[in-house]
Amino acid sequence: MEITLDNISHAYGDTTVLQDVSHTINAQQIVCIVGPSGCGKSTLLRFLGGLEQPDAGRVLQYGDPPEGCLNPLTFVFQDFALLPWRSVSGNISLVLEDHGIRGARAKAIIEDVLLRTKLGDFARALPRQLSGGMKQRVAIARALAVNPAVMLLDEPLSALDSQTRELLMDDLVDLWTRQPFTAVYVTHNLAEAVRLGHQVVVLSRRPGRIREVVTIDKPLAEREFGDRDLEAHQKHLWQLLRDEARAADAELIHD
Amino acid sequence: MTEPKQRTGQPVSFRGGGFAPKPRRWFGAAVFVTLIALAEWGTRSGFISALTLPKPSDVLATFGELYTSGLLFKHLLPSLSRLAVGAALGVSIGVSVGILIGLFSYMRAGLVPLVAAIFPIPKIALLPLFVIWFGIGEGSKYALIAFGTFTPTVVATYGAVDNVDRTLIRMGQSFGLSWWSIVRKIVFPGALPGILSGLRISLAIAIILLVAAEMLGAEYGIGAYILEAGSLYDLERLFVGVVILSLLGVITSGVIALIERRLLDWRA
Amino acid sequence: MKLTRRQALTLLGATAASGLSMPALAEKKKIKVGALRFTSHSASFIAFERGYFAEAGLDVEFQFFQAAQPMAVAIASGDIDYAVTAVSGGLVSLAQKGAIKVIGGALTEEAGIDGQKYLISDASYQAGIQSLKDLDGKQYAVTQAGSSFHYMGAKMAAAEGIDLRFTPLQKVGAIIGAMKSGQVDAWSIVPHIAKPLAKAGAWHIVGNVSDYLPDYQVTTVFTSAKNAANERAQTEAFLAAFSRGAADYAAAMIDQADGEDGVNTMVDLIHKYVYTDRPREKAAPSIINGTMRISTGAALNVGSVQDQLSWFQSEGLVDADISIDQLVDASYVDTVGG
Repeated sequence: MEITLDNISHAYGDTTVLQDVSHTINAQQIVCIVGPSGCGKSTLLRFLGGLEQPDAGRVLQYGDPPEGCLNPLTFVFQDFALLPWRSVSGNISLVLEDHGIRGARAKAIIEDVLLRTKLGDFARALPRQLSGGMKQRVAIARALAVNPAVMLLDEPLSALDSQTRELLMDDLVDLWTRQPFTAVYVTHNLAEAVRLGHQVVVLSRRPGRIREVVTIDKPLAEREFGDRDLEAHQKHLWQLLRDEARAADAELIHD
Repeated sequence: MTEPKQRTGQPVSFRGGGFAPKPRRWFGAAVFVTLIALAEWGTRSGFISALTLPKPSDVLATFGELYTSGLLFKHLLPSLSRLAVGAALGVSIGVSVGILIGLFSYMRAGLVPLVAAIFPIPKIALLPLFVIWFGIGEGSKYALIAFGTFTPTVVATYGAVDNVDRTLIRMGQSFGLSWWSIVRKIVFPGALPGILSGLRISLAIAIILLVAAEMLGAEYGIGAYILEAGSLYDLERLFVGVVILSLLGVITSGVIALIERRLLDWRA
Repeated sequence: MKLTRRQALTLLGATAASGLSMPALAEKKKIKVGALRFTSHSASFIAFERGYFAEAGLDVEFQFFQAAQPMAVAIASGDIDYAVTAVSGGLVSLAQKGAIKVIGGALTEEAGIDGQKYLISDASYQAGIQSLKDLDGKQYAVTQAGSSFHYMGAKMAAAEGIDLRFTPLQKVGAIIGAMKSGQVDAWSIVPHIAKPLAKAGAWHIVGNVSDYLPDYQVTTVFTSAKNAANERAQTEAFLAAFSRGAADYAAAMIDQADGEDGVNTMVDLIHKYVYTDRPREKAAPSIINGTMRISTGAALNVGSVQDQLSWFQSEGLVDADISIDQLVDASYVDTVGG
């Protein structure tokens, strides 16, 4: 399934956050969106997922979601958004229950996604018993359980320490390699962007416009920590962003 | 590196203590026992006059008589049923209204000022009105206790709903959960800690109102027993009644703690 | 007429203060007297207004209460010195604890004078409960267990051989409401409350309390045990002045010695304290209807008090081993019965 942003503009009160953003997200590719704070990256993601409506422009989807897809546009949140009163498997069954999937069928799906996210032994644990990295893996497992057409990841690794972040990036790459999925990945971390993105969309400071779209051809599975050519991409992105970020920072203080 | 010279060091003085409550299990009981022992000694020696305080041992004896005469349960059962029915009504309606206020803007705009207006009304003042509305029998007693527990429950509930993590609700929406599922599986359990701590206050108020509820037309009941003891200036019976109310308070608080431990074990 | 009387009072007060009259006490003593705004407390009001307290060397300050019970407690705590109230379980308990003593009689049921009435609510009356005998198993309103209402109801029930369910409603106002709305079946109350509402159809008068309790000592004068034992002169002075008030009251209202004028003068005086929220012409009938005998010389019917005490004991409302001597100090006034 493909998804297209068509001339999106949006304002919160008097503050325009996004202006004339158009882009198409290709099927089975990961698109990373980077930009300085307050440029409307997360807002854009909520438009994509239908959690908010833009003032102008449309979000269009092309093609049908794959067979067995319960929730075509599925989020993974920065702060995991796990229900603390439900166990790991309970959190996953939460999103199945409304589709009438219970009992053995639910159990099979839960076992499968827990296995894929290496959480097989933790089905009955409560969120408070898990580390940050494991919590996010549960959130990813939950997203996988509904078999999404497009995954919308909102800074999914920002709340984690850097080692955990590296491990989870490897996990995401593994997941994609085994079964490619479409994803929009919002981050402010350029290393994540060049590691996971087939495309990196650079937004300008507020009001956010598309500054440049960087395409990285190297297959995900071959990318590694400290890769030379990735570092070149990262450096290029940083040059694009540095001035924007500095100006955005000053603007925020100004507000 | 040079050889360390012989120097006299000053230990850094510790200043980090206090401000951290630690369990001191038996101290609470010790305070109780000491106070009661003091009262016993004071009343026996005549240092405290019979008019000021009853002898704790006499209070105990009076309690014993109440128990052996079978009157204890004759008083306790009607009171417990009034508490149970009244509080169940008030709390269930209060939780429902509180959730509605938490979820719907019009409910909030319409009901929050209303609740704020009826919260400070001393419910005892409305007792004569309740007698006319609900009769002098059990109806007015249920109504008084229900009304008294309703308002604090509403306030606690909508406060608790307001405090439910919005990202959890957004998560529910993002997975296409139905409105009812979100209320049932996310809002309600998320608000439960706040609702339960509100329940502690509501039930304490219910016990306070028991005495008021039994002012009108109650032959039996702990409240009626206390009022009768008061009008007879019978301090022993008065204290027996008061102690029973205190025990009821301790027991309800304990029951809520038990419920919290069962339902809220997901909290650290 | 009124003005001159008041001037005379001022004069009397002044002479008393200057010590030219015959004071019972050498020095003027400041005392506090507890009162309810009822006509049954008229003797105190008269003694004050006509300067009898002042002549007796007492500088009286009234402390008004809403109910008899807190008044008894206030005596026990020493906040007030003298008061008039019905014998209740609370009063007996306080006497047992050595806090108070009954020292004289006040309101008395007397044959020939309109006294307290038994009432049946209109709703019950219409439902066929038309005599006291029909009240078997019905709800009888009382303020509290051990109150005078409880006593009156229980004595009547015993005489009629019926059972009553006593319903505590705390306050006279609440009882009137419950009677009007038919939530309780029966009650007893003083005539000036009973009669107007009977006329208005709220309830029906079906009997006299005096038929069941002849010579019932309704209210008594009481003070702290300390005053009774140690302040003999002051207590005697109080009772003497109180008795003069009672005598004036009886002369004007019962014997009508000064005819219509005398009644009117007395109503004016009492209206300063009772029904103050109503205009005089509306208050007057209630005050006149409320006329009952206040014992001459504050004489105390010990027989009646003993009967009340025994009843409280038989009901388990007070300890069984309290004696009449713990409750009553009979050394101050004439006693009847006993």
